[in-house]
Amino acid sequence: MRKNKTDIELLSAYVDGELSPAEKKNIEEKIKSSLELQKELTDLKKLKELTSASVDRISESPFFETRLFANLNAESKSKINLKKWIPISSLTIVTLALMAVLKFNPNLLDNIIKEQESNLVGFYKENLQPLLYAANLTNEDIFNFAVYQELPLDNTNNQILKLGYDTKGAEYFEIKKANEIKEPDNLRKFVAALDFDEDEIKKVDSIIGSYSNQISALVLVNDQNAVAINPNIWNTRKLILADILAFAEKHASSNFNKMIPNQTMQFDDRSVAKWVNEAKAMKDNQYIFCTSDSIFKEDFVFDMTEYEKNLEKMTDNLAELSEQKAILREYRFKVDSSNSRKKRNADWTQQFQVFVDTNFIKVSVQNFIVDIPEIDLPNFDSIAIVIHEATQNVRSVRPPAPPMTVGNNSYNYEYNTVAPRKKGRTDVNLDSLMQIKNKQNNKIRIEQNENIKSDSQNNSIQFFYNDSLILMHNQELKKEMDNLRKELQRFRENFKDPQLKNNDTIKKDSSNDVDIIEI
Amino acid sequence: MEHEQNENMQQPIILSLDDDFSLIKRFIDGDELVFSELLKRHKEKVRNIIYITLSNTDGVDDIAQEVFITVYRHLKSFRFESQFTTWLYRITINKCKDHLRKKNIRSIFLPLKDEEPVFESINEDTDIKHIVRNAIATLPDKLRIPLVLKDLEGFSYQEIADTMECEIGTVKSRIFRAREALKKILKPLEKELML
Repeated sequence: MRKNKTDIELLSAYVDGELSPAEKKNIEEKIKSSLELQKELTDLKKLKELTSASVDRISESPFFETRLFANLNAESKSKINLKKWIPISSLTIVTLALMAVLKFNPNLLDNIIKEQESNLVGFYKENLQPLLYAANLTNEDIFNFAVYQELPLDNTNNQILKLGYDTKGAEYFEIKKANEIKEPDNLRKFVAALDFDEDEIKKVDSIIGSYSNQISALVLVNDQNAVAINPNIWNTRKLILADILAFAEKHASSNFNKMIPNQTMQFDDRSVAKWVNEAKAMKDNQYIFCTSDSIFKEDFVFDMTEYEKNLEKMTDNLAELSEQKAILREYRFKVDSSNSRKKRNADWTQQFQVFVDTNFIKVSVQNFIVDIPEIDLPNFDSIAIVIHEATQNVRSVRPPAPPMTVGNNSYNYEYNTVAPRKKGRTDVNLDSLMQIKNKQNNKIRIEQNENIKSDSQNNSIQFFYNDSLILMHNQELKKEMDNLRKELQRFRENFKDPQLKNNDTIKKDSSNDVDIIEI
Repeated sequence: MEHEQNENMQQPIILSLDDDFSLIKRFIDGDELVFSELLKRHKEKVRNIIYITLSNTDGVDDIAQEVFITVYRHLKSFRFESQFTTWLYRITINKCKDHLRKKNIRSIFLPLKDEEPVFESINEDTDIKHIVRNAIATLPDKLRIPLVLKDLEGFSYQEIADTMECEIGTVKSRIFRAREALKKILKPLEKELML
């Protein structure tokens, strides 16, 4: 049977004409000798005929090609389109998502910006300290600030804070390098010109010294190279000047009138007290922050009392610094623009105009000043001799008056009061009167600039040195006195003994004795 | 220089313009219009193979479209290792197999139909072709496809082996088994069919 099956399989291939010649010859011989295979061959041929004829050719499809190319085009188009739209669609999705987020949380961006801003402001607010402590502000410096509107910002006087007026009369401050060399001892010259006695000099010192803390709290710095300046510094300056002049006028009115001959202004205690109140009524919790990357105005309360608690520690540090001759840091400002704040802070830009260069900052202030009349003093050097000569024969007559305290704790000093003079008006601005003279004086001052350093520190050291000298002299004197006492004792003993008499010695010793008594 | 000449001498493959290979080369070189010529040459053969393989006219053109889209996409990577028709028919048979597989899977989830008794009673008017066609349709795919390729399309065993990616002995065996199965199916109609 198996043999038959193999033969029939060969027959199938034989019908299909798929046998090799050898196989074909072999099977043909078998067919000849086998009726069964002959019958099978006939059936296979009939079956093949039936299957071959069973299926007609399929009719042609006339639109096959058209349809195919349409499919191919559509496919390639859809492919290209998909690729083309991938980036745009992803962008669209992101945009829609952002729109959705902003719709439900419209303040998101503002909050983020505000948060970042407050972070930045906080960063610059950290560890703010009064700069002017670091600069060892002396009475001379404060006096120069009041009169010449310049404050040194560091020990080496390389940088100064300069207040001034622009051509339109608006006030501004600048942080810049000191170009002019300061004249020394202006305060001393002023005092000398007014012919103050020792008591009055002390009072002037106490008046000026009382403002030291106040000025210090107005200019703050920190490690982040930020400088915070309170706009109230203009008012404070005027206040100091008015205060000094009021005192000067009361205590040396004749000299003062010579120094400022045309003044129609009265510096009585009432007007000064009025200015003090006005200045204090100004908002003093707002500082202009000048940082290395931005300039902004921000509320900031500087607690002076708390700061003073740490003052001792700080002064120790400063002493160490000065021992090491360390130069305090220099303030460099690199600011591109302050335009970005204009929109958000319209009132701010109305009040302040900031000009920034690589090495200085200038901030103009509008509408932020108390109406205190401006007084500029003439150059003391130029008039000192004239005043001195004039005051030789003139004695100012001061009516005796009880000392009186003006202001509260912040302005705690005493001075004698006189009845206010009636002549003149109290609200005259002296700017116009002094303008011409000031210009002349400025010219003279620039011409007279010499390389002389005002060094108040040296003065204090010298003072200390004098003290120690006196102590040393006293000790030497004591020793000498002891020696003299001993010699005197000896002389008395010798005097009792006539053999040891010596006239010269007696004379000398007696003279010494007189000296001792005098001492 | 001589070497180059030798290379040039070895290279020429002389192809007539109507040869499939030359058309494919032109297509690869960027002349995509020749694809319509290839299509014209082979589409009817492809359509008929699909028709006899499925034993049905339904979906023939859809599958034929798929076949030629596949050819169009991959023609540029044709490696000239076999005849174009072998590659084309292999794609065609594979597409048919995919179609049949999907159809079988779909039929599992379709409600059962009362199948018509194909060969139980035959009227005088009964079309013998129709009977044989139905009988062939009942054969399993792996037996039916080699049989129809041989008897209907006149493929050689070797061509069938290349197209179906199997051994030539397997083709011979499957064709024999298909014929044996057909004989059994058609046995009751032996007289009518004059078998």
